[in-house]
Amino acid sequence: MPTVTIHPTGEVIYLDPEETVLSGLYKAGYAYTVGCRRGGCAICKVDCRSGEFSYNHPVADTVITDAERTDGTCLTCRAVPETDITIELRGENVRLVNRFLHMINDKARQRAEAHAAVTATSGTTHKEQ
Amino acid sequence: MGVMRLGYAHVRVTDMAEAKDHYANTLGLYETLSEGNKTYYKAWDEWDHHSIVLEEGGVGLVKYGWKVQYSSDIDEIEKKAKAFGVTVERMSKGDNPEIGDGIRFTTPSDHVFEVYHEATCVGTEVGTHNPDAFPRHLVGVGVPALDHSLITAEDPGLMDRFLSDVFGFYATERVQTSLDSDADIIATWMTNSTQIHQLAVLAGPQGKLHHFAFRLGEWSEVGRAADLFSMDDVPIDVGPTRHGITRGQTVYFFDPSGNRNEVFAGGYLAYPDRPMHVWTPEALGKGVFYHSRELNDAFTSVLT
Repeated sequence: MPTVTIHPTGEVIYLDPEETVLSGLYKAGYAYTVGCRRGGCAICKVDCRSGEFSYNHPVADTVITDAERTDGTCLTCRAVPETDITIELRGENVRLVNRFLHMINDKARQRAEAHAAVTATSGTTHKEQ
Repeated sequence: MGVMRLGYAHVRVTDMAEAKDHYANTLGLYETLSEGNKTYYKAWDEWDHHSIVLEEGGVGLVKYGWKVQYSSDIDEIEKKAKAFGVTVERMSKGDNPEIGDGIRFTTPSDHVFEVYHEATCVGTEVGTHNPDAFPRHLVGVGVPALDHSLITAEDPGLMDRFLSDVFGFYATERVQTSLDSDADIIATWMTNSTQIHQLAVLAGPQGKLHHFAFRLGEWSEVGRAADLFSMDDVPIDVGPTRHGITRGQTVYFFDPSGNRNEVFAGGYLAYPDRPMHVWTPEALGKGVFYHSRELNDAFTSVLT
């Protein structure tokens, strides 16, 4: 259950498994500059400062260059985190546009964290409980 | 009459399986050929072999094909393009499947145009003998035809002159910096028939695709198309709404590779002697999106 942390403001957003960074942020009530949402226009690029992600579709070389595949550039509409990641937007910050969605996401994250803490101490999995 | 219409748009897609699902099942195009990494489609009310070519690998535009009425039109356009200073090469029958001899050149906007006269006629889906109004079993939106395209260029004014001189197009509407005679052209909508635009050119980077559009009949079909996009999780860019420019009714949406598509209905009839509509920057929002009256960021920045 990866999280996305926004640098430098520190917001933490909880993503569903297999969810893209863009989808997760919008579902959590945040907005930023996005375009086609299908990997073609390159508008939603951010910098990934830590953590690992992979692309869930082929991405055109004109959208992500060879250099950008290794320099931390993250095309958020196609990027699925493999670990918790920290991203930094380019020339803007995320805008919280829906507090209700943010609250739902926050509760989901707290629940997942509490559950992780319980399973860590008891050594049991969710199914065994 | 020279150029009759935008015959085909050839675009790149990152994933052919997803693209085929979009163009065949959501838009309702008919696959006419699949060969190597390319798939060819026609819409139900088109008679030539194909109007859309998808090529797997990358995104954005490969080229456009423009169909002329007479084979001599090809020679005329070649002469005019050369006179404009463009390098023209000949293309042979079979360079494009089911398309005849013609010419190919790169426009001042860095887009590749092909001009041809012959294409294999496979017929519309309703035929010509006592035809019904539409095919009974359309799929998805069931678009009848490719309609027009919008491209970007660093100098739309230069492309306006190029399309006028070489294709005999005229501008139906323009966005200009002012009404002064020396104003800069920001965008131009061009045609050579009563169709309100066949190609529009917007200021922006060279060689880029803004969108290509499919024709629909009227408002309710545009609304139904938007419903289908929601059913199929197609990202809608804008709409359903109306353009102030052309008065067309529209939904902008993206294919699974991020190429922008449009469904476009209505628009008034164009004539060469009709006084051109001119839009100035203070009304640009209303010109592009007549209801929100705001130009969204994506309109000018999201290109493939």
